[in-house]
Amino acid sequence: MQPVMGTEQDLLLKQKKKNLNRKRLDTWLLLLPTLGIFLFFFLLPLFFLFITSFKTFDPGSGIGSEWTLQNYIKFISDPFYLGVVWRTVKIALITTLVTIIISYPVAFQISKAKGRAKNYLTLLVLSPLLISMVIRCYGWVIILSNNGVVNNTLMSLGWIDTPLTLLYTEFSVVIGMVHVLFPYMVLSIMGSIERIDPSVIRASQNLGASSFRTFFSVLLPLTLPGIFAGSVMVFSLSVSSFVTPAILGGPQVKVMSYLTYEQVAVMLNWPYGGAIGFLLIFIATVTIIAYSKILARSEKGVAIQ
Amino acid sequence: MKKKRLPKFIFNFFCFLVYVFLLAPIVVILLSSLTTTEYIVFPPKGLTLRWYTELVNHPEFMSSFALSITVAFGTAIIATAIGTLASLAVVRREFKGKTAVVQLVGSPLLIPSVVFGVALLQFYSWIGLAASPLALVIGHIILTVPFVMRLVVASLVGFDRSIESAAMNLGAGPLKVFFQITLPVIKSGVIAGMIFAFITSFDDLTVALFIVSTDVVTLPVRIYTYMQYQYDPIITSVSSIMIIFTVILMVIIERILGVGKVFSSK
Repeated sequence: MQPVMGTEQDLLLKQKKKNLNRKRLDTWLLLLPTLGIFLFFFLLPLFFLFITSFKTFDPGSGIGSEWTLQNYIKFISDPFYLGVVWRTVKIALITTLVTIIISYPVAFQISKAKGRAKNYLTLLVLSPLLISMVIRCYGWVIILSNNGVVNNTLMSLGWIDTPLTLLYTEFSVVIGMVHVLFPYMVLSIMGSIERIDPSVIRASQNLGASSFRTFFSVLLPLTLPGIFAGSVMVFSLSVSSFVTPAILGGPQVKVMSYLTYEQVAVMLNWPYGGAIGFLLIFIATVTIIAYSKILARSEKGVAIQ
Repeated sequence: MKKKRLPKFIFNFFCFLVYVFLLAPIVVILLSSLTTTEYIVFPPKGLTLRWYTELVNHPEFMSSFALSITVAFGTAIIATAIGTLASLAVVRREFKGKTAVVQLVGSPLLIPSVVFGVALLQFYSWIGLAASPLALVIGHIILTVPFVMRLVVASLVGFDRSIESAAMNLGAGPLKVFFQITLPVIKSGVIAGMIFAFITSFDDLTVALFIVSTDVVTLPVRIYTYMQYQYDPIITSVSSIMIIFTVILMVIIERILGVGKVFSSK
């Protein structure tokens, strides 16, 4: 009997191994299409652009044959380009701040709403996500241009004599950016408000805290993780966004993404455009890592409280 | 109680202003497309549909619209199909390098699209792939698979696998199990992913701007380049059609799925 059992076990083991191998094979079959496209049309092109960014500029073909660090050195040693970096970060910071301020009350209102009203408000807040960004920015052009809605209104009221320059300024870029990125912040803050146990708020009120006190000592600290998470998203999307600064800022308000586009599409300086692009990736990644470190710490803080 | 009323009014009024801010550019475009003037003005002067009929003289907008829909449709189908397969592997299988795969597939959300557009243009010109719907679809697949996978992974995580084994024990083959059991259960995640992919592709200016040629131009690129030279109400009528198209799409989706479902699976 003994040997027969052995072969049976062997058979079972073999069967199991075969199954495992087959499973491993279909795992990779499931991944193959996505992975193939990503390796070939995402990783490889970015890798080549990275290499290009270390090449010299050749006015004829765009990319020279010599190796150089000059593209990076030129960018970080020129006050003009550093000014562009500062403007990019400044616009992203202001956008993030404004977005937090205007989305908090809205997120609160939606989380407290019930049934139908909640559905409609959610749809209203998310609808900008669904309508083309180009078109929305274009709407802002009509509102902010020299003979646009704002200037016409102010002039017909007699408050100003000459139109204010609103369009193609950092102001108009921030307006457009806030409009585009608002839904991300609302969703993130809503998530953290809805996770709060309502009895905590009631406890604070029953113990005699004013609405202000309840907000600053209970609600705000508990929703900080949501605010931080939303900020990471808004900041990084804002730093790397191209459509809004291109339409509402144009060449007058150059940010890093626009500079990348301009170097490649207008100047045909591929190596320099590539270098600016990778510095942009660097800035976006560093902020995300820094933010998520803070986020991890603040979540710990909340847990301890 | 009386003391509380004023802050509450201010709070509601503030929220109302934010909603006005959200809708302002969309309303302005829709209304100013009805103007009788030769230039864009808001509020519109007079009412006419002239700028819609004028579109007949601009066949380039129509062909761009058709191209954008084709590309968005192709992108949505392919990105959803391959993204769903990859999500199955990521959620259900253990394999070496899983973290690396997840990070790679998620990274288009972190890489600025401008940089990806530049890189793709350089790569296309090296391998000799000219501007074409296919070239655009490939670029948009990269942009949209991360969204699809997020949504599908979310709907797969809470999946009760015992119904699958029940079906298998009853003799259903793996394909039958997938199409008759798995897919119907994760349907809302898959459809939401498809919608997001469609909208993202239809909306993309940044990547398409690098890939288009003179005769292969998507609608966002067409609008963007037209705007740089002209400022007439044609743009507002084209944009209005796009807005109406999106709204109709949303209503259809609402009817099929329910808004709550689409957004809750986010």
